[in-house]
Amino acid sequence: MHLIVQALVNGILFGTMYGTAAIGLSLIVGTMRIVFIAQGSIIIFFSYLCFWLFSLFGIDPYLSMIPIVIIALLLGAGLYHGLFKEAAALQDRISSLLIAVAVMFFVENFMMVAWTPNPRAVVTKYGFYTLRLFGIHTTLTRLIGLGIAILATIALSLFLRKTLIGTAVRACSEDPEAGSLLGISPNKVNGVAFAIGIGLAGIAGINFATTYSFDPNYGFDVAIKALIALTLGGLGSVGGALTGGIIIGVVESVASFYVGMGWAQCILFVIFWLTLTLKPNGLFGRVVQKA
Amino acid sequence: MGKHLSLIIILLALAVFAAIPFIIGVDSFFIYYLFMVFIYIVVSQGWNLIGGYTGQISLSTHAFFALGGYTTALIWIHNVTHTWYYFDPLVMFLSGIVPAIFAIIIGLPTLARLKGDYFSFGTLAAASILQIIILRTTEFSGGAVGLRLPGGAFTDLGIYYWTSLLLVVLAIGAMYLITKSRIGLALRAISEDEVSASSHGIHILKYKLLSFMISSFIVGICGSLFAYYQFMVNPATLMSLDRWMFYPILICVLGGNGTLMGPIIGAFIVVTLFTFGENLVGRVHPMLSGILILLVMKYLPTGIWGLKEKVGLGRLAR
Repeated sequence: MHLIVQALVNGILFGTMYGTAAIGLSLIVGTMRIVFIAQGSIIIFFSYLCFWLFSLFGIDPYLSMIPIVIIALLLGAGLYHGLFKEAAALQDRISSLLIAVAVMFFVENFMMVAWTPNPRAVVTKYGFYTLRLFGIHTTLTRLIGLGIAILATIALSLFLRKTLIGTAVRACSEDPEAGSLLGISPNKVNGVAFAIGIGLAGIAGINFATTYSFDPNYGFDVAIKALIALTLGGLGSVGGALTGGIIIGVVESVASFYVGMGWAQCILFVIFWLTLTLKPNGLFGRVVQKA
Repeated sequence: MGKHLSLIIILLALAVFAAIPFIIGVDSFFIYYLFMVFIYIVVSQGWNLIGGYTGQISLSTHAFFALGGYTTALIWIHNVTHTWYYFDPLVMFLSGIVPAIFAIIIGLPTLARLKGDYFSFGTLAAASILQIIILRTTEFSGGAVGLRLPGGAFTDLGIYYWTSLLLVVLAIGAMYLITKSRIGLALRAISEDEVSASSHGIHILKYKLLSFMISSFIVGICGSLFAYYQFMVNPATLMSLDRWMFYPILICVLGGNGTLMGPIIGAFIVVTLFTFGENLVGRVHPMLSGILILLVMKYLPTGIWGLKEKVGLGRLAR
């Protein structure tokens, strides 16, 4: 009994990793319908940046959030205007998928060659301070990770609902043509959305680096789980993406407790498939599904 | 005269390809290279049917490929059909049927209810489920280590080469017949505008399913050939996401999606790049491939064969 609760808590905390990855992805997939499968690899890329800032310059990972997010925003804007602009305009799925795959190949290979496939982790002095609440063990960094994820979700929700640009992003995600009729420049809006999506990837990267060890090949796995989280939560709902991620984390953790990691993955994909077939809009999705 | 000219060119090309092993010598690298090109042409034509002509982007090609290979292995190992097994047409045919059956199982719920992106995710999910099942049922499928095909050792590349050439001819022939028939028209209509197509009386689900089945049949038979070549089947080689899922899509898009010549051109280019890339540049070749894909997608999204339409040259193989 006690072990299951521990597995549950671990699942929730690990799920926030997937959730943070999913939030960034939800913006990109939701606005431009680009299945940005490279999100995972880019998250790992930022994990590496965090690691190098920490090991070479001694910058605390949470402080390094400022430079990393700035770099991420610039990278996102660059990627959109350089690569995805045309494909997004045509809503051309295959092109954008292939471009995303190309980015993934490039980033993964670059990390593997430049920084070797050895696993890395950011270990701070206070990082692995263990807390015991009601007999359940958690580490401080994982709790901080949860906190950051929730803050990021709230921040993004507020941005989308209360700011002018955020409303423009939502408008273009529902109907790009109507948006441009109203005078919203789709490229500007998409660029902002993409940049924020990558910025969130930066935050996810820092979260990941501080809590778990990582190596260049994690990227694809994280991206697929983020996609599942997105589908579970529903396109167009930021809170849904985070919830989806946590659900995945819980399912993975509890299922591996009972049937082992391999079948746990299988259960995840079955849930993915069932969600797609039975409830494609996810739990909280609001966007009308377009063909 | 134009039609006869293209037929003559095709027959000539076939004759050349069939005769090459006698000129160069069957065990040369060039024959291996052509063998890989032919395999990719067949797999890509299979994807072309569902992804290019019908407009449904399937991400489960690698699952069908693996199913074909594993079917061949299992039939052989368990002595199911009591024939001679090695390059046995019946075994290869069955290796195409099993993926087709799976296409129905996966396709019925997915094609009926999901459109666009969600269909693609559904196929990817189904393929991943299959991969995990293969990895976990070690008794039956050999798990991660895989199964070894019982039977002789590798003698020479000749029989593989000519079988692959035969498969290319059959696959392209089948695609030609399908696309020129009413089925092809229906598929093309579906890919352009489903609502309009169904309002014209086309039974959408039936044609999508048919296309999915034929596509997986073609891919499965190719998987069978590959299993014969490797003499073993395991998830790492038969279900490789890169080689049997992304590359066929890349080949079709590069060459020209939804055309007959497209996958052929695409296969030659992609296989050349990756074969020589691996040998020349070694570890960094995915990076260069990535850059190449980016350049092509940005400047040439209709593919190379699509250029012909833009430039307005004749009407060869469409």
